[in-house]
Amino acid sequence: MFSERELDRYKRQIMLFGEKGQERLKDAHIFIAGAGGLGSPVSIYLAVAGVGTITIVDMDTVDQSNLNRQILHYDRDIGRKKIESARDKLTALNPDIVINAIDAKIDESNVAGLVGDAGGIVDAMDNYPTRYLLNEVAIRNDIPFFHGAIRGFYGQATTIIPKKTPCLQCIIPCAPPKEVFPVVGVTAGLIGMIQTTEVVKYLTEEGELLTNRLFIWDGMQSASEEICVEKNPSCSACGTAKKGE
Amino acid sequence: MSVKVRFFARFRELLGTNIIVEPASGAMLADVIKEIAARKKEGHDAIFDDQGIFREFVIIMKNGRRIETEDAGKTPVADGDEIAVFPPVAGG
Repeated sequence: MFSERELDRYKRQIMLFGEKGQERLKDAHIFIAGAGGLGSPVSIYLAVAGVGTITIVDMDTVDQSNLNRQILHYDRDIGRKKIESARDKLTALNPDIVINAIDAKIDESNVAGLVGDAGGIVDAMDNYPTRYLLNEVAIRNDIPFFHGAIRGFYGQATTIIPKKTPCLQCIIPCAPPKEVFPVVGVTAGLIGMIQTTEVVKYLTEEGELLTNRLFIWDGMQSASEEICVEKNPSCSACGTAKKGE
Repeated sequence: MSVKVRFFARFRELLGTNIIVEPASGAMLADVIKEIAARKKEGHDAIFDDQGIFREFVIIMKNGRRIETEDAGKTPVADGDEIAVFPPVAGG
């Protein structure tokens, strides 16, 4: 049931997917891995859309050099834990939802516990080793994994539905080398919005998901491409050669 | 025989894109990419390592289907093929 305030707040999107769709958003629990470039727009828009429970995890402190893209954090937050800044902003944007903001480094030992009973994982990480851990939890828990990654004016995104689509490791079996990557805030915004659109569609059961396709954005050309992706039967994460089997 | 090669992102910056080449009959996918990459050292080095082997993160598609880099040396190209080569990105 929605309060009058909620019905008013979500009026323009209830026009799109009805109170039933809005209820699905309210009942949902989404896990956002990272409160940085991608995690900022993703969490802001999931919060204002009315996703009932958002868990957001990050280990870092706000640095001046984050502020060109990490729009959850303001100049006055420099030196604060990103998670505290995220909690403040998201609660101020929408006091009718629950924000679990957790200060932690996601690793093999805690990833399953952090994801908990979330019904979907948004990849807002900046490295593949952690992405692969989240991908494995998504497969184990049978929940969607909304992948996004950026560099400079370039980005990519895809939606992974365990069993039905290739997993992240099928699509990108080898991580590109680690680097301090150049990036402009708009790329994070754009790819984050594709991920968030996917989450909203998945939860409200509307439209066609970005599944079995890798979306590639080239901001320098203002051009996008799609690459068909397929399951790798010998994938070490989801295939028959799965670890321990 | 005419083959179109499309590079993406950093590879496009270094090597251009929508490059039409006319490989000899029997040419393999790896040969076609290597020949274009040889036009610019930086572009070559972004895609291949010191041994001339594809860097492990490079993704190659032929007519919309993924070809493993290790198979590119034994995958022949045919007239009208469209090849895409791109580097996944990692930031967030």
